[in-house]
Amino acid sequence: MSMVPVLRTLILKFCLSLCWICLSACAAAPTPSVEGEGGDETAVTPSAPLAALEPLQRAEGPLWPALDINVAVFEVGSEAAETAAYMAVRTLESRLLPGLLREVLVRSDQWGVVRVVPTASALAPVNIESMIVVSDGRDLIIDVRVSDVTGEEWFRLRLAYRQDEPLDDLSALSQIFNVVSNRMGEFWLERTATERSRLISTAGMVYARELAPDVFTDYLDEASPVLTLKRVPASDDPMLARVQRIKNQEYLFCDAMDEQLGLLLERAGPTYDLWREAAITQANWLDQYELMAASRSSGPEDGEFSRMQAEYSAYRSYRIQEQALLELAEALESESQPVVLTMEDAVITLEGTLEAQYATWRELLREIFLLEQGALL
Amino acid sequence: MKRSFPADTRVGEHCGLEKVAVPHGSALTALVLFAILHGCGGNDLQPEMSAVPAPDFSGHWEVDYARSDSVQNQLNSTFREVQREIRRRNDAAEKGASYHGPALGNVDTLFALAKMAELVVEPALLHIDQDARWIRIERENSFALVCSLEAAQNEANRLGREICWWDGQQWNFIIQLPDGLNVAHRFTRSGDGNSVAQRTRLSDPGTGHDFVVTRIFGRYDPAQRGYSCTETLSRGRVCTTENIETE
Repeated sequence: MSMVPVLRTLILKFCLSLCWICLSACAAAPTPSVEGEGGDETAVTPSAPLAALEPLQRAEGPLWPALDINVAVFEVGSEAAETAAYMAVRTLESRLLPGLLREVLVRSDQWGVVRVVPTASALAPVNIESMIVVSDGRDLIIDVRVSDVTGEEWFRLRLAYRQDEPLDDLSALSQIFNVVSNRMGEFWLERTATERSRLISTAGMVYARELAPDVFTDYLDEASPVLTLKRVPASDDPMLARVQRIKNQEYLFCDAMDEQLGLLLERAGPTYDLWREAAITQANWLDQYELMAASRSSGPEDGEFSRMQAEYSAYRSYRIQEQALLELAEALESESQPVVLTMEDAVITLEGTLEAQYATWRELLREIFLLEQGALL
Repeated sequence: MKRSFPADTRVGEHCGLEKVAVPHGSALTALVLFAILHGCGGNDLQPEMSAVPAPDFSGHWEVDYARSDSVQNQLNSTFREVQREIRRRNDAAEKGASYHGPALGNVDTLFALAKMAELVVEPALLHIDQDARWIRIERENSFALVCSLEAAQNEANRLGREICWWDGQQWNFIIQLPDGLNVAHRFTRSGDGNSVAQRTRLSDPGTGHDFVVTRIFGRYDPAQRGYSCTETLSRGRVCTTENIETE
């Protein structure tokens, strides 16, 4: 009997064990939380504390004053070992998963309007930025950072989830985001009503300052580590009314994008489920295969064809699924539908990537604002 | 049956134990084997993309059984070779001479390779798309073989590794699976562009003999078949008798 398959199996087993040890150290779910540490200035770091699965806390109604939240489209972690196919799936996930997070936040009944946005911005007082660290169908690890427009970081979390059995839809996956909503609720409740109102007012000023720095900079104090509100303009200030109108137009973009993400979830969701199902099945098969291979090494070598067939068939099935999903992911990527918006009798079409469309739209709104301001001055 | 692949495509042989004398029972065995395995991991193979432009393989192709190998015939041929090898060994032993022929390996593994060959070369239809950047060989009931026209590829995934390149005469695709099974496809187009030869070599560390099957494909027009089939995710293979247009 050749020793090559045996040794290969042992080496594979060793490597898988190492991976398993690493994964279980940071990713197995449900896993107890680990007390956290501070972070640097980057949006999301892998050093965030690990969060366990927990039930979603629901409120009778939005915590007053209602806090609007931006859920930024997830960042896709870069791993050199990833194949192009996995990257395409990651890109798809980066747009599907924020929708699940948004659904959880809405379901908690604790918040105001929750929007999925291309990038974090001052459109809402609080931003949730996330990065997909690992996603192979069975294991999912996401780093989450919640902060507000004053620059204060609320918390960081590392979400880790393992799905051992294939499920029919993505709803089970959304439970990993319960902890984000719960933790945000706790953080928000710790603040006094005055502090909450102040944050919302500050967010309004930060947004206004982005549009008209000359006018609104004096309303904010940047001397302290976090932005603070020095004063507020009169409620009937015409400039503020224009800012609000521009803000509404930006909401329009987010709503259009949101609609597209909804369609994406509708169209790609079933295929994504299939991919995950196949990935889970294959990952489980790998585990079983490892056990079988280990036992075979000590017994008679009587299943050569079965071994080869199982290995090749699994590979074939894996590649068929992977290629099907890759095709879909590429098609979705290339579709990148233009957003068509109607604004005061003018139809505006935005094209390019989501981020580019958003940047173009914001620039356009800023130009409109400056034109209006110039006309009035 | 003698191996006739170009040297750079004989990946299975790089990993063949018959090329290395392993001192059985010594502590060195594991180290030697590890070194061999390390070299067989697939990362060592650095195929180079030929500068010779690849001809256009695009089109629909169906297997021509009359001109293709039969797996049973190939198995018979391989066993005749094994028997000859055994005779040579016996002759050498009787004469008290040392013999340095290729290792015989496990006969069960050879049977398994033959059965695997039937599975691997099962696709009877190919649909090849080729543009300035990619060649994509869609195989009926199997996964597509995809390679860049710009550079050789050597990509690992969770269940194995795929290597591909154009060597100036043929497209080479190698699939390496974790337990040592190696499947190497080589696609060659005839000068008149009416045939494609798919030569498939299966090798496994358990046997000293590779198993090679050649399939010849001829062009066909799917519009003339009266039906068309597509693979779908939800319903598997779906066929229709409606009129279809050639792409």
